[in-house]
Amino acid sequence: MVASAPPTPRRSNRKTALTALSAALAMLGLGYASVPLYRMFCQATGYGGTTQRVDEAQAATVKDSGRTISIRFDANVERNMPWQFKPLQRTDTVSIGARDMALFWAKNTSDKTVTGTASFNVEPEQAARYFNKIQCFCFTEQTLKPGEEVRMPVLYYIDPAILDDPDNKDVQQITLSYTFHVTSVQDNSGADAKTLDRTQAGG
Amino acid sequence: MAFGKISHGLGQTIGALGISAVAALTAVVPAFAQDAPAAPSAIATGAAQGAAMASGAGSYTPMKPVEGIGMPIDGAYGLQTQFSKTGEYGEWIHNIILMPIITAICVLVLILLAVIAVRFNRRRNPVASKTSHNTILEVVWTLVPVLILIGIAVPSIDLIAKQYKPAPEGALTIKVTGNQWFWTYGYPDNGDFEVISNMLNVPGAPTINNGVREVGSKPWDGPSHLEVDNRMVVPVGEPIRLQITAADVIHSFAVPSLWFKLDAVPGRINEKVLVVEKPGVYYGQCSELCGAKHGYMPIAVEALPRDKYNAWVLTHAGAEIDTGKKKPAAAAAVPAPAADASEAAPAADATAEAE
Amino acid sequence: MATTADHFQAHSEEHGHHDHEHKPAFFARWFMSTNHKDIGTMYLIFAIIAGIVGGAFSGMMRVELAHPGIQYLDTFARWFGAVNPDFNTTLHTWNVLITAHGLIMVFFMVMPAMIGGFGNWFVPLMIGAPDMAFPRMNNISFWMTVAGFLSLMVSPFVPGGTGNGAGTGWTVYAPLSTSGSPGPAVDFGIFALHLAGAGSIMGAINFITTILNMRAPGMTIHKMPLFVWSMLVTAFLLLLSLPVLAAAITMLLTDRNFGTTFFDASGGGDPILYQHLFWFFGHPEVYIMILPGFGIISQIVSTFSKKPVFGYLGMAYAMVAIGVVGFIVWAHHMYATGLSVNTKMYFTAATMVIAVPTGIKIFSWIATMWGGSVEFKSPMVWALGFIFLFTVGGVTGVVLANGGVDDVMHDTYYVVAHFHYVLSLGAVTALFAGFYYWFPKMSGKMHSEFLAHVHFVIFFIGVNMIFFPMHFLGLQGMPRRYPDYAEAYEYWNHIATIGYMVMASSLVVWFVNIIYAYVAGKKAEDNYWGEGATTLEWTLPSPPPFHQFETLPVIGETAHH
Repeated sequence: MVASAPPTPRRSNRKTALTALSAALAMLGLGYASVPLYRMFCQATGYGGTTQRVDEAQAATVKDSGRTISIRFDANVERNMPWQFKPLQRTDTVSIGARDMALFWAKNTSDKTVTGTASFNVEPEQAARYFNKIQCFCFTEQTLKPGEEVRMPVLYYIDPAILDDPDNKDVQQITLSYTFHVTSVQDNSGADAKTLDRTQAGG
Repeated sequence: MAFGKISHGLGQTIGALGISAVAALTAVVPAFAQDAPAAPSAIATGAAQGAAMASGAGSYTPMKPVEGIGMPIDGAYGLQTQFSKTGEYGEWIHNIILMPIITAICVLVLILLAVIAVRFNRRRNPVASKTSHNTILEVVWTLVPVLILIGIAVPSIDLIAKQYKPAPEGALTIKVTGNQWFWTYGYPDNGDFEVISNMLNVPGAPTINNGVREVGSKPWDGPSHLEVDNRMVVPVGEPIRLQITAADVIHSFAVPSLWFKLDAVPGRINEKVLVVEKPGVYYGQCSELCGAKHGYMPIAVEALPRDKYNAWVLTHAGAEIDTGKKKPAAAAAVPAPAADASEAAPAADATAEAE
Repeated sequence: MATTADHFQAHSEEHGHHDHEHKPAFFARWFMSTNHKDIGTMYLIFAIIAGIVGGAFSGMMRVELAHPGIQYLDTFARWFGAVNPDFNTTLHTWNVLITAHGLIMVFFMVMPAMIGGFGNWFVPLMIGAPDMAFPRMNNISFWMTVAGFLSLMVSPFVPGGTGNGAGTGWTVYAPLSTSGSPGPAVDFGIFALHLAGAGSIMGAINFITTILNMRAPGMTIHKMPLFVWSMLVTAFLLLLSLPVLAAAITMLLTDRNFGTTFFDASGGGDPILYQHLFWFFGHPEVYIMILPGFGIISQIVSTFSKKPVFGYLGMAYAMVAIGVVGFIVWAHHMYATGLSVNTKMYFTAATMVIAVPTGIKIFSWIATMWGGSVEFKSPMVWALGFIFLFTVGGVTGVVLANGGVDDVMHDTYYVVAHFHYVLSLGAVTALFAGFYYWFPKMSGKMHSEFLAHVHFVIFFIGVNMIFFPMHFLGLQGMPRRYPDYAEAYEYWNHIATIGYMVMASSLVVWFVNIIYAYVAGKKAEDNYWGEGATTLEWTLPSPPPFHQFETLPVIGETAHH
């Protein structure tokens, strides 16, 4: 609608309209960009209970503070996930700054090969930025054959900086929660694995 | 065991006492001490553990709710009576700070409009003034609202801080999972059993949950649309770490009389502390649109003294008494400090009477 | 592109007066219209039709809620094409009703009436412009809105999961709207929002350009009537918030149909992010709906007090402040989602700040009337009703702003009461005020002042009966979006349903009044409200000529705001 080049007053209209349009397009772009931006923000600040991911080299620099804190482990599966999934220890008392390992157990109770991914978060939320994972089964997809059981480790430590954070002074126990979701189902008859099963809902 | 019957009558008495006690509490600025209840509950734990161990098995008869307590009242126009510290504080902020302020503002506007109607109508005031600026007036009606809002914000922010205070050491953890369209309650510290909670069917209405009885078919049933087959049983007077998630879509775990509402979001847990001050049954409903039967997945929280809670726990297969808790043994022996006596009273009384 | 300049040249002075009324033939005039007044009229008629549909949906909801239990939903499910609906389908119909009611009233009633209707009609007239800057784009905006409405009207008749229609609520939260709602109904709903949103963005660009570039000589930005100011702020809010909604619902669409996982935890997405994006749009959206109402009320209060608006600059910049702060408070709609404590505290404080400019507006209206010679003509009565009802809705907003108090209020009927006080009783009252203020100007016929007052009294009683008891229901904990409820909620629900019937009967009076005006109404003079009405539209005949201001008016130093 700006094709026919107009005389003076209309050029100013076109300029204004194009400026406004580019503002709208910028907001549209920002809407899409919010997905990676939000993820980066959460990873950087621990917002939403997002844990930190560190490599061996970073982990090696951390010193044991000698103070302890209780860690709780929580495991869930999404409705249509045919796995049993449990932590092998409900709680654990760990030394802040020392690395520790927690084990989770999962079993595929279906007769199909199921690949899953785990989402995770930490509560209380303010502790998440000090929760560092060195290794985790949630970093990759997990595939279980029919009836297969597996023990999955999480290698983690709590950053001693948590001891200096006033927001965390009342935190007595940190919970690390995982939820397994279906990524793909093999040998599937073609039914959409992601659709909620309505027949079993509501008792 | 005769346990159940006692709990029955007791619930009513305590519930009735609760009304007056809470009413008295809300008249003054409520003292806030979330860590305090740990001590009395510890006593209860010790005693109950002994009792439960001795009997070797659990027993439980659901408590009969008290009319108008922990549930809505027809025709009422205020908040439900509150049974938690945050609730009493929140109710105080609403009833004593917010309500008078907002009522005063509305009345002020109404009076000014009435004065205009009377004094500045065309007949009384045929010639309009041409005043359209008054700097002092404009500064005043900017600054006064700012001051009022600061006055509201101070207790309001304080309330948020207290609501989100993390659970104290040794708090019992209960796991709540929202499903289309029922709730499940997991007890990871009590042997990791799970309770599935469905709304009771309403007589004369289409079946909501197959295989679930109708409301009113047991003597302890509460109101229809609110009562469930298996309640979420919690110990009274203790901080409970509620961890909430969902298995399918977003739900929201809400109990108005406990000032509690937190969304159940699939793929993550949300956590908040719940302390129920009085034994009783408290009803709530799912508060985030979750599909067709959103209106038919109520929440019923039954708060029991520690010994009865433990007895209820032991009715489940594989149940244990608070395995997850690392309560120092010494705590059970230490009596509640004097300063906490008033806080401790309800729970301690309940325990004493129950025995 | 045929723009105003073309018209201006084509119909220059030597053509004489009768050429002002030179109108295209019916089809060209109404379907390919580039005339801001015709498009405004079409928007108003469209908004009335959409309002009747949305209002009928709310009537269906109120009648169901009159008593506990499910009474009529089964019938309604059949209306939407269900054959022998099972109980879940019946209940799903409820969710379709609430979803459709919300979307229709927001996107196809209030917005088209305020912005498309009164905005199109009176922004060019008030700033002394011959038309909008881009008349053809104006036409496209309108027809996109219509297309969006049709798409939304298809939605209830196609499968949407447990039954026909989109049962997601107007907020369309994931994952209920993605994995929880198979079938095309939600896609049709999303498509409707895309069309209406694109139409509104074009409209916003048009208004911004018109207001910034096409003001008559002497009409400086600080002399613009407050209605024009309100439209300018609204247009900026639309421009900056709607694209975010467009992005969010497009991502929903791809999550639903193309296997992306923007808001799906199974692929690393976060359903909470959708809520952030939705409310980043959704909160400015509520100001989009109410700001033009502020503008209308300012014009009316000044007119009937025979005084200039008190504190003009404060009023204008209060709207700008509301618009700016409106962008940084969105998460107060999400207090229960598990926000961190610091986030909750920030949004509590930020939200309360909005009360300050809103208070400035209320007090400035009162000060405008103070010392005035107030005539209680129908628009003024509606405006007074607006000021009081908006105050009630505003103060409950202050209550809800408190993150800690919201733990008991969130998603209860208290929230429903609050936003209907600011929208149904606020924005809609402002719309009626504007309607009675400008109807004779638009139609050339005087309505009956008596019927307009009767309409107001019945409407005022009705809406207060519907929505005031909802505060009580909310405080007692009744959750919103429930088709059935515990018996203890019956008393106030029953009263609310009676109130609905009272309110609905007031609309009959309104329609009678419109018919009266066209059949027996006196011809309207140029300035039928007298000395208080000083903006430019009152210098023109009623109705104004098809093309106005062929000689641009010059606004002198003494011009009234």
